[in-house]
Amino acid sequence: MEEKFSNYNFYSSFRENKISLAFQGMISQDLLSLIGLSLRRKNDNEMVARRLFGLVIELAQNIYHYSTEKAYSEKDKKEVGVGIIAIGETNEHYIVCSGNRMDSRKIKLISERCDYINQLDEEGLKMYYKDQRRNPSVEDSKGAGLGLIDMVRKSGNPLTYIINDSDKPNAFLTLAVKINKTLATT
Amino acid sequence: MEDFYNPPDHFIPEIRFKAATGELNISGESFHEYSVEFYQPVFDWLHRFLEIPNKTITMNFKMTYFNTNTSRRFLEIFDLLEDYEKNKGGRVTVNWYYKAHDVDMKESGEEYMADTNLTINLIPYVS
Repeated sequence: MEEKFSNYNFYSSFRENKISLAFQGMISQDLLSLIGLSLRRKNDNEMVARRLFGLVIELAQNIYHYSTEKAYSEKDKKEVGVGIIAIGETNEHYIVCSGNRMDSRKIKLISERCDYINQLDEEGLKMYYKDQRRNPSVEDSKGAGLGLIDMVRKSGNPLTYIINDSDKPNAFLTLAVKINKTLATT
Repeated sequence: MEDFYNPPDHFIPEIRFKAATGELNISGESFHEYSVEFYQPVFDWLHRFLEIPNKTITMNFKMTYFNTNTSRRFLEIFDLLEDYEKNKGGRVTVNWYYKAHDVDMKESGEEYMADTNLTINLIPYVS
């Protein structure tokens, strides 16, 4: 380990950004279950906790299937994606984000999909979800598109994305979505 | 025909299909990363079960969470049952249970109602 490495720096940075949970590494099924449990324990609003968990799951799925950085999972007996999952918060919102390396063409497809989804209204989202569930597009055999629509529907907020190293074949994609801490349930 | 049983785990639902009574139960959580692979044995069983016409089937969903991948598998189950009712003289009732305040799970049930021609009963429960 490098001498410059410091857990204190990590800690300070997390504190500054109000990061309540962060994980970097192999996004395994067991890890997701643990995150689910800890969210349920922490949050007093069951509905918010469940939606927050749903957002984590859909983002994690993206990493699991599409990250170009892989690690071998002994349990799954296959290579699974490596990436970052983090949950941060402001006074009013939780922010869930994922980060992982991906094929730049795939990132372009996902960012275009985000732009399209973000401009749909509630009814449009519902129709698009229905349509995509029944007729998944060819490049979406693993269901990433449906997950993106679901995240916007469940959070009530648009998806944001940041692309780093965009000049490289494997760029780095950050996807984030925020959700209100108190939900106006309909 | 034998029954089908899959014990629940943190990310897979409990599945209990009873061949003799036609009672098919799925409950719990479902967010397996490979939903196609996980549900394959379920579909294999259903295909064999639905070969014989004129059965009365009650399908009970009592889910607390499922991911978007799973939602596709559920739609495929509904399609099978709808086809069975339409073409094989089956009588199918679907009960969609949701926790009383879980508006998302209720909405999921409503969306399946809009997406199929099956009779789907939305049933709230207090846990």
